[in-house]
Amino acid sequence: MSAAGDDRQVRHAGIDRAFHWTTAITMAVLMVTSLLPILGIRFAWYGIHWVAGLVLTLLILLHVVRALIWQRPRAMVLSAADFRAGGAGKYTLAQKLMHLAWAVTILVAVVTGLFLIRKAGVPFLERDPYVRSLAGWGVLTLLHDLAALASVFLILVHVYFGILPEKRAYLKAMLTGFIRRSDLSVEHDLSRVDRGE
Amino acid sequence: MDILRYGHDTYGERIVNGVSWDLLPVAFWAGVAVIVVHLVWRAVSRRSHRSRGGEVR
Repeated sequence: MSAAGDDRQVRHAGIDRAFHWTTAITMAVLMVTSLLPILGIRFAWYGIHWVAGLVLTLLILLHVVRALIWQRPRAMVLSAADFRAGGAGKYTLAQKLMHLAWAVTILVAVVTGLFLIRKAGVPFLERDPYVRSLAGWGVLTLLHDLAALASVFLILVHVYFGILPEKRAYLKAMLTGFIRRSDLSVEHDLSRVDRGE
Repeated sequence: MDILRYGHDTYGERIVNGVSWDLLPVAFWAGVAVIVVHLVWRAVSRRSHRSRGGEVR
């Protein structure tokens, strides 16, 4: 799938780039609305937070459906070849681990957030804190909080690796959709990339 | 530094309410630590690569 005249190839389709950046913005809104009040900056955070949470839930659902039906999920699964220098498929070992960490963190945040909506209430779902015991709400909140803490850590590490000069081809690919095969050949086995592994 | 936030249920039993926000700076500085460690490792490996006459990207 090379573009004419050079060794560029498509790495991310437009819809996947849109998913990535929309998720990034949504995560930023969620982090700001949840953490600023903890840091002492008071404002009406909950309305923005639950709306952003539902947007994130929708984005994740669309991503899972797209990944399972239109993409190759095995490209994101760890394999022995990933541990060999220059043996990565479409994604490097570090990229797969980052995806795994984000997947676990966001799934925990989304699932617990959907439960917690019942406790706090939203316009279309009446608040009912009595559907669960206080201890039950505590466990859900604990998991939601842990996902928030993990997100703080992951955002820092993810942004850092995204802007490193030697990794800039990946950032450019997430912006334009294209990557040069010469850039890929440093860490990737091009035959695996071509097979969609 | 607390790890968890606690409250009490209607029977007075202690229950977990969530994570202590004392851990927020810990999550932040853990991320910064990974970045610093990687920057140091990167500088050392690039220097040794260059000293062997290799090209550094």
